[in-house]
Amino acid sequence: MITARGLTRRFGDLVAVDSLDLHIDKGEVFGFLGPNGAGKTTTVRMLSSLIAPTSGSASIGGTPLGRDNRSIRQRVGVLTETPGLYKRLSAWDNLMFFARLYGINDAEKQAEKYLKMFELWDRRNGLAGSFSKGMRQKLALARALLHEPEILFLDEPTAGLDPEAAKTVRDLIESLKSEERTIFLCTHNLDEADRLCDRIALFKTKLLTVGDPQSLKEKMYGRRTVVHLANPRSGIEDALNLPFITKTEWVNGRLLVSLSDPETENPTLVRRLVELGADVQFVNELRISLEDLYLDLMEGNHESA
Amino acid sequence: MNRLKILLVKEWRESMRNKMVLFGVILLPVFLVGTSIFMITAAQDGDPIEQIILFNTALMYFLLLPTIIPLAIAVYSIVGEKEQTTLEPLLATPISDTELFLGKAMASVIPALIVNWASFGVFLLLIRVLVGDVPLQLLTAPWLASIFGLSPLLALFSVGVTMIVSSRASDARAAYQFSSFAILPGLVPLIIYSTQKTLVDMRLIALEALLLIIVDVGVLYFAIKLFRREQILTRWK
Repeated sequence: MITARGLTRRFGDLVAVDSLDLHIDKGEVFGFLGPNGAGKTTTVRMLSSLIAPTSGSASIGGTPLGRDNRSIRQRVGVLTETPGLYKRLSAWDNLMFFARLYGINDAEKQAEKYLKMFELWDRRNGLAGSFSKGMRQKLALARALLHEPEILFLDEPTAGLDPEAAKTVRDLIESLKSEERTIFLCTHNLDEADRLCDRIALFKTKLLTVGDPQSLKEKMYGRRTVVHLANPRSGIEDALNLPFITKTEWVNGRLLVSLSDPETENPTLVRRLVELGADVQFVNELRISLEDLYLDLMEGNHESA
Repeated sequence: MNRLKILLVKEWRESMRNKMVLFGVILLPVFLVGTSIFMITAAQDGDPIEQIILFNTALMYFLLLPTIIPLAIAVYSIVGEKEQTTLEPLLATPISDTELFLGKAMASVIPALIVNWASFGVFLLLIRVLVGDVPLQLLTAPWLASIFGLSPLLALFSVGVTMIVSSRASDARAAYQFSSFAILPGLVPLIIYSTQKTLVDMRLIALEALLLIIVDVGVLYFAIKLFRREQILTRWK
């Protein structure tokens, strides 16, 4: 659905996006993560045909960028970083203006559908300028969805929303996914990305890594078993002497054992520990958060996966 | 409804809710027409030369209004989009750069011309009612050619200048101040008339029209260049 080959954008001497290669399938929720100034917005602007790349190519829904940008814009929905609403117009007028620009036949029906979905129907005649931050964000989301785009670029869709509204948005993303719509999600909310995205890309001018969150964590950190012992004593890790163990270390009095296949290797590990006189209290898998992965990659603690 | 019309309707709807724009579009013409009528009626029984001067001065206002009115609308139309960060969502729609430019320009020029000519009509009507006969010997063909022929060119010049200035300004007041020199061409007949070097005649009007056409083409060329989405998203402050 979205393909990019060597997509690059320079502003004078500054390289904002450097040789980005991407392939995103139809119906995929793709998380695009990176720090402020990483070039995420520039990437979204290029992929939504708002600005042209300096070099490289991309195609959106099979249409190459630059060939028929108007038709690309008709097929994508963009939620920008700031809601960008006309404050002197009502919520209804804001939506109707964009609905007509997109040439939606049943504009009123669509506006009503999304105002109701985001619980803004009762405030449809209120000026957008009088709305709270969360209400503005919801109205901007409604605007991005009005023309039922096949591809959605969402830049921080839950920023500024209360937990209930954020859940509505996350549920909406899930339901859009079930409708086979492709979602390009820029977010700083790593937990959200972990939960919603089929694949994520970590990006800082260049693509650092891409993959599904779980595989990326395993690829970078391996799988590790945490063993809580009643009588932790150093030296026991050397006595284990099991061929499948790739690494052991003590962290906060707990033994961390790196394994390739914990499901089959953990029972052997526990038996061996008991043989060595260890009192095993708990055994669990070390959960690496996406935040750990993100921070390590951004700080350069790991090679790009 | 085509996109140009959709944009025009939105622009006018927004402008009608902006007090600063309303002041420029409605109150200023009302004030200028009201002041002119008051002065002409006050001098009704006085020196005929004084009445001629006052009447001619009043006619000058209808060359200034086409430059001042679009300036007010265009400044808030463009800087307003920047302040509300609405340009990116707008550019993400299938609207073309040309439609966007024309929509913004026409949203400023059309009301300016309508208000100007309507104010002129009201002025003539009030003169007839309050003073009696309109001094038709004063309302000469050069004046009518100025008011109906130069007004669109003056309005286009004003919009072009305002668009160029507004693309670089992040504050409406600053844009308003820097765009103010767009009223200068409207002052030319006033300056010539005041120096008594020559009377406003068709030759002068034709010359000013020609100059305005040349300047308008140049100003609008630069304004259109600035109105490419690439420029708007990457260069506009």
